[in-house]
Amino acid sequence: MKEEFMTGAFLREFLLGELADEDRERIESLYLTDDETRERVLDAEQDLIEDYLEGSLSREETERFVLRYARTFEQRQKLRITKSIKDWAVTEEGKAQTAAAPASIVRGPQSRLRLRPVLVVPIAAMIVIAIMLAIVWRNSQLKERQHLKVEQELAQLNSPASMQEIPPQMTSLELKPVTVRGIAPQTQFNPDAEFRIVELHLPWIQTERYPTYQAKISKLGDDVSFTISNLQAQDSGEYMVRIRLRVELLSKGNYQICLRGISADGVVSSCEEYKFVVNN
Amino acid sequence: MAQDPEIPPDSFDEILAWLDPDREVAANLYVRLRADLTNIFKWKGCADPDGLTDEVFDRVGKKVHELRPTYEGDPRLYFRAVANNLIKEDFKKVRIQVSLEDLLDLPQPATSEDVDEEAVDMDECLRSCLQKLSAKNRDLIVGYYAKEKQAKIDRRSELARQLGVTVPTLRVRAFRIREGLQKCIEDCLKRQGNCE
Repeated sequence: MKEEFMTGAFLREFLLGELADEDRERIESLYLTDDETRERVLDAEQDLIEDYLEGSLSREETERFVLRYARTFEQRQKLRITKSIKDWAVTEEGKAQTAAAPASIVRGPQSRLRLRPVLVVPIAAMIVIAIMLAIVWRNSQLKERQHLKVEQELAQLNSPASMQEIPPQMTSLELKPVTVRGIAPQTQFNPDAEFRIVELHLPWIQTERYPTYQAKISKLGDDVSFTISNLQAQDSGEYMVRIRLRVELLSKGNYQICLRGISADGVVSSCEEYKFVVNN
Repeated sequence: MAQDPEIPPDSFDEILAWLDPDREVAANLYVRLRADLTNIFKWKGCADPDGLTDEVFDRVGKKVHELRPTYEGDPRLYFRAVANNLIKEDFKKVRIQVSLEDLLDLPQPATSEDVDEEAVDMDECLRSCLQKLSAKNRDLIVGYYAKEKQAKIDRRSELARQLGVTVPTLRVRAFRIREGLQKCIEDCLKRQGNCE
């Protein structure tokens, strides 16, 4: 019976909390009592973590993954360690290949190559292309790493515990959802050296309330966006979600925030949009 | 667990005895059950999987004396049922609980300098821990993790063939080496003062 339903895709749904209660409970019972099932579930979890680190998960899967695997400092650190091991392996492999390439030219069919100078130019061109590709790849790795660092920093800055603190050098900015702002001008933010952190106040106007919220911040005209998960609303007269950003992250331009509610069973609400302009 | 006055002081021993008559086997089952329940809470998206696991053991601890003589079946399923109730209770709470530990030890927002410093520490720890691996295990980790997506699947099949083992065996082998490496790096980072 176990074999019938426990496909990799099914286990992935289980790990991301997408299964109906009946199926979930069945797998949980087997996971606790059956060694083979346990092994398969943990295997599927490893695959899921690797797929996340490789950026192979869909947007929805990524959101669900982050809610489960990047919630606490400890979890985020485990992910960072796994990523550093993977990065190291990729780099080592690259080094080995780079070392092997010239070696094969010298040690392998060396006599043939030396006798045929016509091959030198194409080989040199290939090496140049390989080096350029390695540089492009390395740059993209660095960018990806930098992006991950910023998201980790944002997650920490916006963790429930951190949000109870009022850090020094913080200013706040009230935003209105685009749907209710009408023709009112966009909120402007003028970064000031005095402030290190800006706290954005995002009123939640949808009738449904959620245990957690997720904000995606993007700069218009820029491909890069940052997602902050596990945000919680507060109701002090006005029901709102607060998010904190380091001022130095905000360069001049138009910003957009898409805020979504995440229900207890992982259902994601429609996007509530907010916009603001950063000057200078 | 013994901090709650409602939990009998001998409940831990009783839980162990319920899990298995052999104390050593029971201790292993206990450790594994804790990890498994924490995973279950995590997969369900609960905010504080460790805290909820503690709560499961507290609740079972209060009842184990009555339960043990009459309960039929695998006791781990009873723990799961308690965990399931806790999941339902947890989701009824709109506000996600902040654990006492978080309240007592509020993390400061990380600065980019902190993040850079941590990356340097991570790099140092990774290098130091890799040196403790045998060359054979290091090679296996490189071979296992160097590729991504489809290339990764092909590479692992090839690697398993070269080592004369099945892919699942290779996975277990790589997983164990990586687990050891991960633990070594975690300990190293703790020593460097990068953990909460």
